[in-house]
Amino acid sequence: MQCKELEAVLESEGLSPLPQEAREHLASCTNCQDLLADLSAIVVAAKRVPAEVTPPDRIWISVRAQLEAEGIIRDAEPRVTPAPSPWWQGFAELFRPRVLAGVGTGLFLVFGGFYLVEHRGTTNIAPQPTPVQTQASQNPNTVAPPSTEVNPVAPAKNPLRQVQTAHAASVAPEPRPSNKSLLPSPSENAYLGDSAAVLSATEDSLPRRELTGNATVDASLRQNLRTLNGFIAECEARLKQNPQDQLTREYLNMAYQQKAELLTAMMDSGRSEH
Amino acid sequence: MCSSTSVLGTTLKGTRRIASSSGAAIGLLARPRPTEPVAWTEAEAIRRSQAGDSAAFDFLYQLHSRRVYALCLRMVNNPADAEDLMQEAFLQLFRKIGTFRGESAFSTWLHRMTVNVVLMRLRKKSLPTDSLEETLDPDAENSSPKRDVGAPDLRLSGAVDRVNLERSIEQLPPGYRTVFILHDVQGYEHNEIADIMGCSVGNSKSQLHKARTRLRELLQEQIRDQARQERQSAKAQTGSKE
Repeated sequence: MQCKELEAVLESEGLSPLPQEAREHLASCTNCQDLLADLSAIVVAAKRVPAEVTPPDRIWISVRAQLEAEGIIRDAEPRVTPAPSPWWQGFAELFRPRVLAGVGTGLFLVFGGFYLVEHRGTTNIAPQPTPVQTQASQNPNTVAPPSTEVNPVAPAKNPLRQVQTAHAASVAPEPRPSNKSLLPSPSENAYLGDSAAVLSATEDSLPRRELTGNATVDASLRQNLRTLNGFIAECEARLKQNPQDQLTREYLNMAYQQKAELLTAMMDSGRSEH
Repeated sequence: MCSSTSVLGTTLKGTRRIASSSGAAIGLLARPRPTEPVAWTEAEAIRRSQAGDSAAFDFLYQLHSRRVYALCLRMVNNPADAEDLMQEAFLQLFRKIGTFRGESAFSTWLHRMTVNVVLMRLRKKSLPTDSLEETLDPDAENSSPKRDVGAPDLRLSGAVDRVNLERSIEQLPPGYRTVFILHDVQGYEHNEIADIMGCSVGNSKSQLHKARTRLRELLQEQIRDQARQERQSAKAQTGSKE
């Protein structure tokens, strides 16, 4: 056997036990001995090369995501569905801090908006607190005028309610009038005159005797009425001097409304006592 | 001669290499994740994955990913490319798993896909290596490594370490490299390699022998280079002393 023939045997049979002829050639050929020894050393070294290498986890994550996207993996990780909770736990959701904060902010914005609208509508003319308000806040015995909602008197039959309604309409927020519109119109003057007449007639009809059964309260109500009448008289005097004084006109309007409310309260008190 | 007996889709020799490296029994080769309730056989995992069971996909991946990754890594010598190739190989595998009928071992089927993906990538990259057709043709002139008759025969015994060998493997043509890694590193038999590579058993044996002899030349060159550098450095030291 020649060296080439031995190599052909190695190529076809590998390094496994060689046939007799090849072994005889090997015994006498150092080149082939070296070749066989080197190839065996390579095989042994190859066994030390790791056959497995752990891949990074991101590969499977990526493969899995792709397979799920393609619908090949059909049962993705089961989603944990919470057990049905009792109905009252729904209310507990309302009191979570985030929900409360959101609701609070919303309410603040809503009420702030209302306040701004109302404030702008009333502060365009910058009304000062009326004497009745000031006095009522200073005097703890003062009975505040009742709201119109609790007024048992029907609006159509109650002249004071007409005054209140007309006043509310007159102070409703409107675009600021031009200089020309600041002049009192004949209808406005007539309205003020009518209001004064109605209020005077109502005041005259008040019972002279005690109203509420409480002398202190009666005295406080009558004192408020006197103060209000004095303020009204002052406003009317100023308007006579300067009919174009829009601010005084507004004050007078508000004073009429307060007087109407006060008279309503006084009349209601007297009526309920009887 | 070839142990083609399939046990759970893995041949005996392939199993030996897997078991020896992971220390696990057949069918329990993959390190089960803590959430996995059972350790399936490979056949059962294949059947379940064909029905779209995500845990079965996970099981099969864990079972084979380390060997596939090692193959890709040895073939391209670049971790990023290896990850990319492995991902592509497993995507192809799982996309086609519904067509797997068990004619060949599952690992063989998987490695065939992996080798195809890797070789396709190497062809696209047009690396300065021999083409697969050339290296798989035993009669081609360039495929037969020539022995340098004039060069001294260096004994490699004791001089072949893992680093030198891996460096030399990198320089092998893709066809040689694939056969050598599959047989000598990963422990596949020639009939399996023939199935993976799509060639005959004789061709696989021939490719393996040529790969080994080419490695011998490359290692000898490395040893010569190292000896030359040592001589030059020794000369430089003696020159500086004089």
